[in-house]
Amino acid sequence: MNPAETPPPLAVVIRQLGHCYPGRRRQPPRKALDGLDLVIPAGRFFVLTGPNGSGKSTLFKILCGLTRPSTGSIHLLGHDLILDPQTARGGMGVVFQKPALDKHLTVEENLRIHADLHDIPPDLFRARLQAALPWSDLRDRLGERVETLSGGLARQAELVKVLLHEPALLLLDEPTAGLDPGGRLAFMATLQRLQKKRGVTILMTSHLFSEAEKADLVGILRHGKLLAMDHPTQLSQRLGAEILVIQGEGLEPVAQALSGDPGLTWQLHDHELRVQGQDLLQLMAELLKAHRERIHTLAIKQPTLEDFYIHLTGHALASDEEENR
Amino acid sequence: MIRPALSLAKRELVRFFRQPHRVVGSLAQPLLIWAFLGAGFSPSFRAPGMGELSYAEYFYPGVLLMLMLFAGIFSTITLIEDRAQGLMQGVLASPAPRMAIVLGKVIGGIAIAMIQATPLLIAAPFLGIPLGLSGVVWILFGFLVACLGFTALGFLIAWNMESTAGFHALMSIFLMPMWMLSGALFPMDHAPGWLWALMIVNPVTHALTLIRTPLYQDPTLFLATASYWTALLIAVTWAVVCLGLALWRVNRVERGVAMPDPSAS
Repeated sequence: MNPAETPPPLAVVIRQLGHCYPGRRRQPPRKALDGLDLVIPAGRFFVLTGPNGSGKSTLFKILCGLTRPSTGSIHLLGHDLILDPQTARGGMGVVFQKPALDKHLTVEENLRIHADLHDIPPDLFRARLQAALPWSDLRDRLGERVETLSGGLARQAELVKVLLHEPALLLLDEPTAGLDPGGRLAFMATLQRLQKKRGVTILMTSHLFSEAEKADLVGILRHGKLLAMDHPTQLSQRLGAEILVIQGEGLEPVAQALSGDPGLTWQLHDHELRVQGQDLLQLMAELLKAHRERIHTLAIKQPTLEDFYIHLTGHALASDEEENR
Repeated sequence: MIRPALSLAKRELVRFFRQPHRVVGSLAQPLLIWAFLGAGFSPSFRAPGMGELSYAEYFYPGVLLMLMLFAGIFSTITLIEDRAQGLMQGVLASPAPRMAIVLGKVIGGIAIAMIQATPLLIAAPFLGIPLGLSGVVWILFGFLVACLGFTALGFLIAWNMESTAGFHALMSIFLMPMWMLSGALFPMDHAPGWLWALMIVNPVTHALTLIRTPLYQDPTLFLATASYWTALLIAVTWAVVCLGLALWRVNRVERGVAMPDPSAS
């Protein structure tokens, strides 16, 4: 019965998921997800990222069963979420962006309600609460009202809460939003520990690359489609070993000059030109000689996940505009 | 189903007692209305329909009912807050049966209303109403049935509300007139025809019968009358319909519409 004991090999299987919000007065229907395919093997730490309006929140609402998609299928831990939401919900724990704790109640009262919602008998609740205390900082705060906790502690309480029913799949929607850097690091470390020790599959949305880099898998969502999905280092290495980043004013002629070289690819975003290719050091010297007056700073660096993200979403933006012309 | 529902109901009670101004406020309003209207009307008016009753005595079951209904309905206002904050999302993402979510709120609301209305039964002997133990039991039963439907109605309305101000506005448009036209303030018998018609279809009228009757009659007597059973049947039907609608509303999730034709975009 306990789904944590024998997790199926694939925790999340999403096929051809599409979602379109109904139109309102003077507003046409809005497409939020479009033919999305996503498979997450059990035991992985997956971070979904993407610009605002990319469909992250819609996907999250659908995964929690709060919204029915227009098309497609979803299997969570082997259960069909659309046909049998109650069973699928039993195996997952959800942390929403907004706190799902009653701030007028104590930490323990909140935890007890959660246990009751999952039909966990009182003895089992006690045992699991005791097991959860060593890894959280809530030991001495159980009797205090949630409104007196710091943001970081409240998030921990939320995590302890959703782990009470021992879910095999954790869904988290920007769980570190509103936390200070210390709280964010501590929360991420806790998640990583949970994944390693308990083999929990984690699906988390975030727009912080520092968080995404800690995951096993990163997916980039845009216009309701998955643009790329891989290990974060694999993604950043798709740009090659190095990239050249040039900042300055009126960089269009510089970009024009690069267009003749088939070995180079570049993107121009406002005051920043990013170039991938070979012999970047030599290129740097040439550009500096020819366009000194336009260039403010210039650097060669190893690409990060953020660079790949800018490459991917920036490129997609340019092609969108071409299509519209 | 039972564990989640009782847990959610208990939460309502804990929250209620942690906010003493709610306790005071919800008790004070009906008591003040009763004290002022009762004291003011009693010496001045004696309508032929009322027989030997003083107005304060006539008005008494109406005040009990008002306390029950208002306390029950307004307890569901916490639902608006629960939905605006993330709490209800968390509950909805759990495997708890949706009926447990409705019943948790409704049972909690009824319990709060009972706690407020029951002490007022102490006033009965001072009004000259001889109230025995069985009478009290039947009145509490009347409270329960009356409150069930209206608290479920409160749930249904609160679920659709974005703000507590909207909830208050809607309640003062619906609930107050329904209570006024229930026979709480004046007897039906001498009301003009159109008013009588409004009163007879008003579910609050029948809820009031369930509370007024046991104050004056022995259960063995009123259980033999068709009027009591009619009122009970209507109140129970009302409760079932309201609970059903609340359940339907909780079950209804936002749905995506058909995807636009890809060739059109």
